[in-house]
Amino acid sequence: MRVLERLADGASCAVRIIGGLAAWSGLALVLLVAFNVLARYFLSYSSVGLQELEWHLMAVAALFGMSYGLNQGGEVRVDIFYARYGARTKAVIDLIGNGALTLVAVYVVWLSIAYVQSSYAIAEGSPDPGGLPLRYVLKAAIPAGFALLALQGLAMTLRAGCEAVDPARHRT
Amino acid sequence: MAIPEILPLLMIGAFFVLLLGGIPVAICLAVTGFVFGYIGFGPMLFNLVPARMFGVVTNYTLLALPLFIFMGIMLEKSKIAEQLLDVIGLAMGGLRGGMALAIILVGVLMGAASGVVGATVVTMGLIALGPFLNRGYNRAIASGVICASGTLGQIIPPSLVLILLADIMGESVGTLFAAALIPGLLLSGLFVLFILALGIFKPAMVPAFPPEERAQYSGGDIARMLLKVVVPPLALIFLVLGSIIGGVAAPTEAASMGAFGAIVLAALYGRLTWPVLKDTVRSAFVTSAMVFFILVMSQPFGLAFRGLGGERLVQDAFAMVPGGITGQLLFLMLILFVLGFFLEWIEISYIALPLFLPIFHAAGVDMAWVAILVAVNLQTSFLTPPFGWALFFLKGVAPPDLKTSDIYKGVIPFIGLQLVGLALVFLFPGLATWLPNAIGW
Amino acid sequence: QDSFSWKMTNAYGPGSPFYVEGPGSPTDFCKKVEAMSGGRLKIQHFAAGELIPAMEGFDAVRSGTVEMNAANAYFWAGKIPAAQYFTTVPFGLNFQGMNAWLYHGGGQALWDELYEPLGLKALPMGNTGVQMTGWFRNPIASVDDFKDLKMRIPGLAGKVYAQLGVDVKLLPGGEIFPALERGVIDAAEFVGPYQDRRLGLQNAAKFYYTTGWHEPSNATELLINKAAWDSLPADLQAIVSAAAMACNLESHTWCEAVNASAMVDLVENFGVKADVLPKDVVAKLKEVTDQVLSDGAAADPVTKKVHDAFFAFKKEHDQWASISEKPYHNLLG
Ligand code: NA
Ligand code: NA
Repeated sequence: MRVLERLADGASCAVRIIGGLAAWSGLALVLLVAFNVLARYFLSYSSVGLQELEWHLMAVAALFGMSYGLNQGGEVRVDIFYARYGARTKAVIDLIGNGALTLVAVYVVWLSIAYVQSSYAIAEGSPDPGGLPLRYVLKAAIPAGFALLALQGLAMTLRAGCEAVDPARHRT
Repeated sequence: MAIPEILPLLMIGAFFVLLLGGIPVAICLAVTGFVFGYIGFGPMLFNLVPARMFGVVTNYTLLALPLFIFMGIMLEKSKIAEQLLDVIGLAMGGLRGGMALAIILVGVLMGAASGVVGATVVTMGLIALGPFLNRGYNRAIASGVICASGTLGQIIPPSLVLILLADIMGESVGTLFAAALIPGLLLSGLFVLFILALGIFKPAMVPAFPPEERAQYSGGDIARMLLKVVVPPLALIFLVLGSIIGGVAAPTEAASMGAFGAIVLAALYGRLTWPVLKDTVRSAFVTSAMVFFILVMSQPFGLAFRGLGGERLVQDAFAMVPGGITGQLLFLMLILFVLGFFLEWIEISYIALPLFLPIFHAAGVDMAWVAILVAVNLQTSFLTPPFGWALFFLKGVAPPDLKTSDIYKGVIPFIGLQLVGLALVFLFPGLATWLPNAIGW
Repeated sequence: QDSFSWKMTNAYGPGSPFYVEGPGSPTDFCKKVEAMSGGRLKIQHFAAGELIPAMEGFDAVRSGTVEMNAANAYFWAGKIPAAQYFTTVPFGLNFQGMNAWLYHGGGQALWDELYEPLGLKALPMGNTGVQMTGWFRNPIASVDDFKDLKMRIPGLAGKVYAQLGVDVKLLPGGEIFPALERGVIDAAEFVGPYQDRRLGLQNAAKFYYTTGWHEPSNATELLINKAAWDSLPADLQAIVSAAAMACNLESHTWCEAVNASAMVDLVENFGVKADVLPKDVVAKLKEVTDQVLSDGAAADPVTKKVHDAFFAFKKEHDQWASISEKPYHNLLG
């Protein structure tokens, strides 16, 4: 069980480090959109590439943020009954939920590989002249984001498993 | 024949069981979507899941979400929001529910600046929930007023719902924006009346500031504090609104003026420290990701509902409705309301509306009016438990001790008020049709 | 006899006239095919957002998950730059010329050659006919008026305008009206009188410059998975081709009819001022377009092949048009 816990800690540590870095994309997004607005209005400057960069940043932040959000306890659930469960029942529910999440995340990674490949095979870029190239790199954020999600899901599954076996073990 | 018909119903049932059992929303959506989709049509259609997810995370109009969330968290972490509501509460003096009235006003203003429901609910939850609870507001009422005011953005133009409805119903976006304004203000007015009535009949739920605390400040003190802490954040909201009205920014981009302005404001107050910035960046990221996580994971569910022919259930029910336009309109309202319990509004619009529109078109019903009825109805669907987006978004930013049941209880009176608003627009179509005609849109 | 049950996705949202609903539209195509085949080929239609988002049809058809998609080929310009020519290019072919090229001038063969390696097959299935330059808040008197003009204009035309000093703003359809009405943008291009009136653009700007130098016609693409197409018996293939051709004609004639009445309505009831761009402005636009198109052709040999074939055909067709259609239009006054 020690080994499993250490594995869980390692996985969630990796998610925390990557997410902590990716978080700054949010500030970058604020500054970028504000720049695009103000530069257009005051300097009559506009760039198709910088406008596309807005939603590129949002996509990367959203996909890399899912695992980090869970890591930081950001999941949303209906707790009408959950709040009344005992420690072991809670652990079992978490085991089921997180196990299912891990499987779903792995499945989406697998599904999205062909999606990225077909984009890579034709070197897809923006349909707009002046837009950003390498659309497949952006699309690759789907499998990358879900791989991280699977990692986080695995960590949470292992932890819930340990708790289900030994509810006395305190939750961290 | 019977098996495929029943699958979408079973899927919805399973979703509710998992959801109420305490599995996180996003996981419930993805798991039931994949499992029932697989039973119904095999793995083939799932190849479309990545495309749907890519569509969500690259959806330009959703940009307002991370931007407004950033603004809300910056105002929260720098304590600007807390001070703002405190001073407003003080300034309201003995008036009960003063802070709630202030948040309805903020909801109207934010609604006039944005049309993305998650953005306004989350922002207002961040700003207001803490101060409300600190000041002894009833937890349910505090949640209810935030969710309801947060969804006002969907009816007060500009609004994503209205833009989509304009597309589906063949009305101009401008007509619908004009038609929605009076009903939106009407709803806000109903919320205000409700809070005032609570103040009279259930004063403990929406307490005024204690007299001894008020006594510490003179009228002049309060006026000075108002100037100091209320004016700048209000100016921020007007900056967002003004950048749209003044032609500086398109509706979606305008949110960046709010987020950027919040950084500047925190700096001006001398509170833009490295820890505050770091904390803001981190929580804004987590909060936006939570919203996107639900949206992304709902894609397999939406796909499966379609793939299983869930829209046929609605068609079959529709075929049984007795004739008459009023009957069909009422039935449409009922369907939208019921679908709102478990489907996202975009899916609802795509499933229910195309069925009804040809009939209303043929009968010569004013489509702008129908669109507003639909919009108010969809707005209500954001609030209806268990699957109301506004409820999840508020839960996502609430302290852990705020229970789902508090939120559910709190939104019920507001759902009632929404239905009153809906009935008024239904009985007096002029509420929707007068303004667009008057200004020639 | 085998029967088939197919899916068609669409790049346009539910209810859009021409693009989804109405005579000669993609949903009409599905109905026609089912009727003509006696129900042997049933195509279930999904508007944008129902099954997949607007711009995902290409990949969905390529992967074979859906058999057909309705869109414009120029949406795929980021995947296949030459695809642009099978919708329209600035100062390209009008409705007659475009169809003459596709059906009888080698256009379809080039399209097949372009899509075959990707496992795709495409047919023209509709056309808006000539579009409009767009809506301007202020009149355009000279090329200088383009300097610092903020305009919603996607695609190749955006690149042309940008070289004349226009600030190009990308905006989704629904935000065009509020942005133009408030002056966030000074000008916007959408489709033509009927579709533009639907967005209410006449309430946001009054100067409507006419004729779509940037989109002299605009072809709807029926995209088909090649393996699925090959699996159809010859009679069903013939039915699909014939239905697509029928929709191509029917949708265009429908546009001609509704645009004519919408234009009268806009001018008479909304105070819209319709005008053509000054001659020297058009000449400048043409000059920049020629440069932009030849730059694009120089960057990609496949695009060059299509570009050369397109303009070789156009040169001949222009000569014919200048002694046939043009004098007739001059007679109209
Ligand atoms: Na709004
Ligand atoms: Na166009």
